[in-house]
Amino acid sequence: MSNDPPIHLRVANKKAFVWDVEDIATLRSKHRICGVLTGTLPHLSQQNLFLGVPLVLLPEEVVLLVENEIAVLLDDPKAHIQPSVIELQKWRVKEKELQQLQLSKVTTALGTSPMMMSEEAIRKRKEREAKKKAAAAAAAAAQLEILLSVPSKDPASATSADTQVTVIIPASSRSFDWYNDSASIYRTIDSAKAAEIWEYPSTLHERAKCGVFRGLWEQGMYMGGGIKFGGDYLVYPGDPLRYHAHFSATVLESPTSSLTPMEIVAHGRLGTVTKKSHLLCGWDDTKKEASFLSIEWAGFG
Amino acid sequence: MDDSLEQPDAKPPAMAPDNNPPEDGEEASEDEGDVVLDWTKLLPSTARPVIPRRGEKEFEPQPGGGSGLQLHVLDRSRNAMFDALKATRTISSKAVSYAIWYPRLARAHATVSRGVIFSSIGHSVPRPVVTADGVEKTHKRLELLPEEALYLIERGSVFCWKETDLNLAGVDDLEEVLGSPMSAQQAFSEMIGTEDLTLERYQVYAYLKRLGYVVTRASPPNSLYPRAPPFDLSPLNQRTASVLGRIRTLFSSCFSRVIRLFTGGLNWWKPFRPSRWLIRDKNYSAVFRALRFIPAGHSVPLLPTTADSPVKQSPYRIFYNVYKPVTPFRKSEPGLPDYQIVVVNARTTPMPSLRELTDLFDISPEMPPPLPRQRRTPQGTPLPLKPQKTVPPPPPPVSFIHRILPWLRPPPPESTTASRRPHPFMAIKAGKKTVIVAVVDAGSTGFFRFGQGAFEEWALF
Repeated sequence: MSNDPPIHLRVANKKAFVWDVEDIATLRSKHRICGVLTGTLPHLSQQNLFLGVPLVLLPEEVVLLVENEIAVLLDDPKAHIQPSVIELQKWRVKEKELQQLQLSKVTTALGTSPMMMSEEAIRKRKEREAKKKAAAAAAAAAQLEILLSVPSKDPASATSADTQVTVIIPASSRSFDWYNDSASIYRTIDSAKAAEIWEYPSTLHERAKCGVFRGLWEQGMYMGGGIKFGGDYLVYPGDPLRYHAHFSATVLESPTSSLTPMEIVAHGRLGTVTKKSHLLCGWDDTKKEASFLSIEWAGFG
Repeated sequence: MDDSLEQPDAKPPAMAPDNNPPEDGEEASEDEGDVVLDWTKLLPSTARPVIPRRGEKEFEPQPGGGSGLQLHVLDRSRNAMFDALKATRTISSKAVSYAIWYPRLARAHATVSRGVIFSSIGHSVPRPVVTADGVEKTHKRLELLPEEALYLIERGSVFCWKETDLNLAGVDDLEEVLGSPMSAQQAFSEMIGTEDLTLERYQVYAYLKRLGYVVTRASPPNSLYPRAPPFDLSPLNQRTASVLGRIRTLFSSCFSRVIRLFTGGLNWWKPFRPSRWLIRDKNYSAVFRALRFIPAGHSVPLLPTTADSPVKQSPYRIFYNVYKPVTPFRKSEPGLPDYQIVVVNARTTPMPSLRELTDLFDISPEMPPPLPRQRRTPQGTPLPLKPQKTVPPPPPPVSFIHRILPWLRPPPPESTTASRRPHPFMAIKAGKKTVIVAVVDAGSTGFFRFGQGAFEEWALF
């Protein structure tokens, strides 16, 4: 765990973002931290089902990652230093080279657009092409002479290609030479709090949430936000991409805090309706321990 | 034949002809909180992006971290997701727009604006400009609020520069823009936090914009920001009809009585019925209303607060005006918004107090009661309102006077109103006034509607 370089969580406005897809992959596959994708996916910008970078982490996830020395916090506004003239000039030259490269590519590889398609679409396209080829072969034999007389040239694409280039809007700032990734790094929550870029956890309730989150995480669970199920977390036995949640969890500030019967009924009922059991998680702030209790609707009579 | 089925990722052939219908609404709303996302069906295709159907989830991994098949499917899902995330924001140089971000103003100046998207984004502001010969002039220019600029960068429509004070005369192409390039990351870090924009507010803005709504600020951030006209806050039943309309109904009701004498509409046995005006308030509801002596209803003000000082500003204030995508929207002259939205952070904001809700209702317009839902057959076709047997009688021969004076008569009681009277429970449930609160918990957004139910107007006895 500690032999890998720590993941940089870029903090701005007291929220932690992850911008690099590799880091998102590591967090998810290796450390069972999912976060919430919140950005617009380029080219699929009119829907809310699939979202893209940045990944926003729950504050509990951030605390866990930093305490386990998996990640460090980085003051992102401070890392964006104003570039010097020379750096800008270099950037400009690079951009121009990229554009030149694009232009030369476009003129050579016109027509074979490297589109990414779903597996089904690729298969369908192949079938279609095979059919077309068969049909064309039959037709070609008959119309060979006519085809030869038509000049095989596509004037529209040839004229537009030499002026039109693709502009890339960078997502992560790492492509900029002047982005200073190593400045203002905070390795502990306390130092980040002292620098006033972070403030979680600051109350007993927030400490309880962090403790409960850690307790569940250490048992190998995946956690997601539970606001839509009336709890603090949804607890998954495996990656939420593939598995349903088993529990919705509520955090109690102490294992002895009083609960009204109505709460138990409401949670038990809600959990049953959504095919989950409800998990009451008590946090003992003196012992630093979390205890868990699940409720299920027995449904007698 | 069945070779393909032996591969771990194969699907039964019946599933294969997937014509990619758009996600149907019922299926989506069924389990909205825990949407099953199948990233393997989402791979960026620049030509025709299609929202895939949802995949299926399993109950739990096999003991020991999952079976080989489970791990394989999971890896495929993850890799598809990461591939989709890696897609770069690319746009043709002919379609891209440009903007310069001015941190001190908290605005981005759109220097090049292309595309329909700008018809509902941005506002024009006159700013002093020093021309080449040293004369200061004011020019109108298109400026973007931080959320607007950030959204446009994020969706890959705008390339944004950041204002810089460097002398860029030597750098070719950069001396005109006087700025350094900004990444989406930098925009996220630097634009959020300016001009009252929080991450939660931005997430709600982007969520609604992705769905196609037009979103503007409810309280103008500066005096030149186009503001929506104020709502008519008077109660619906007291809203005055136009003067002309009232004269017309008065005139025509007198006149029609005279006409009825000649056209045979008069009942000769009761030539002089007591006027409607005399018996108007003599029905049960009016009597019960008169007997009610405990004040009820939302027109009665709340008791004044005693101890707690209202110095601290409530987090429950309307932040966005939202227009449906179909509403004709003019940027310079926005109309009445279709919705008004309050944005709160779920982690820091408690439930609204009665006073906070009342304050919001007081500035919201009254809505007409909802029309009863049309009953639908399982096929989804509306039932005919009347049974088929009753064939409408053939229209009576129309006399000349009927033909010439239809506009003088009072408008005939609409035949549909009887069957389409609002259902009292529906009306109470919907409420007369509505407040929409968007609750954001670290990225997941829920929209909640608070309605001010008017029980006193729907007396049930």
